[in-house]
Amino acid sequence: MEFAAICTLLSTKLGDGVLELHEEGVEPWVDMKPDQIAAAAHLLRELPELDFNQLMCLSGIDWDGLDEKGKGKSVAILGYSADGKPETSDRVGEGDLGVAYHLYSHQHGHKFTLRVRVPRGAATLPSVAEIWPTGAWHEREAWDLVGIRFTGHPDLRRILLDDSWVGHPLRKDYQMPGRWDLAPLEGKPYSVNPHQKPMEPPPAGDADGSGGEG
Amino acid sequence: MSTESTTPPAGYDPQREHMLDFDVDQQLQKVIDTEDKNFILTSLDEVFNWARLSSLWPVTFGLACCAIEMMACSATRYDIDRFGAGAFRASPRQADLMIVSGTVTAKMARRLKLIYDQMPEPKWVVAMGSCAIGGGPYFKYGYHVVKGVDLLVPVDVYIPGCPPRPEVLLDGLMRLQDKIRGRKGKFRPPKWVANYAKKIPYRK
Repeated sequence: MEFAAICTLLSTKLGDGVLELHEEGVEPWVDMKPDQIAAAAHLLRELPELDFNQLMCLSGIDWDGLDEKGKGKSVAILGYSADGKPETSDRVGEGDLGVAYHLYSHQHGHKFTLRVRVPRGAATLPSVAEIWPTGAWHEREAWDLVGIRFTGHPDLRRILLDDSWVGHPLRKDYQMPGRWDLAPLEGKPYSVNPHQKPMEPPPAGDADGSGGEG
Repeated sequence: MSTESTTPPAGYDPQREHMLDFDVDQQLQKVIDTEDKNFILTSLDEVFNWARLSSLWPVTFGLACCAIEMMACSATRYDIDRFGAGAFRASPRQADLMIVSGTVTAKMARRLKLIYDQMPEPKWVVAMGSCAIGGGPYFKYGYHVVKGVDLLVPVDVYIPGCPPRPEVLLDGLMRLQDKIRGRKGKFRPPKWVANYAKKIPYRK
């Protein structure tokens, strides 16, 4: 099916869940409401004329430092000085966070891209790991690096970084670790960000898949 | 006879006169001068150093793209086996050289230290490539990269490059062999062994 036909099918099923169509790019995408993403994922997977059986990619997005038109503002990228000391600032990020779902159907050979925008303070989305099992690792990566929490995920732990890491380093307001030499050997938290509070760990009920509403 | 020959040399001890056998040196020189020349005179240090530098066994420890160059180095074209360092061991218990070939991330740091601690003495470390030397291209913005493996383990030879070519790795290996060849003197135990030995009561 063509992209527009998929969009009309989704909007008839979901009503006002489909917010906006973007057809100008190479990969056209659809903005969705966050509370409709679980229903949309079920529809896209189970409707026989859609039948998206592969989640190609799930990416976390940080819109901090972008204005309304998507142009980049100047964001201070903080690194280390020449003598190895971390350069810090107390800037707090402003923009929303988001997730993009890239889907593909092997039967019909069509692609589809969904995008969801969630506020920075409450970056929580229902998990799609039950619909597409490959989403489990992608969601762990989005939690690890961007800090988006997925409710109903079977095992939401960090996947790339160490378990003792503090913060989510692909956020634009991430502060570099203060100590990077001996902290991992001593078993201490590797990253010490004085201006960034660590996010709370996911609720304990998510570990066995019983918690959450997703 | 002259008067000088009657005075005993410095350090002469008449009670130990029977232990001085100048004849042995002459016999030894006679054996050395024979045409067979079928034995070698050397010190134990030199023998041990020669054995160690001729059979450096690296632990199989590839971290990033430098490991590709290390693999090329062990293949037929460059053939690290010519220098006796081609037996890559899958266990650190059997290895005495760790070629840190690549980026050491914060998550890998504890594992790297563990592998180093599991290797038997004497052991050597080669930091291969810019990342292992000082963080390399990840020095300024790499939030997850340890800024040099010498923050974790002592390094003997640094091989710059991004990644270094196999020739440079071979050159670094030969510099390490030079270093081992010059190793002299007594066995120096690790610090914890020395501290423990001080606490033994019969030791003065």
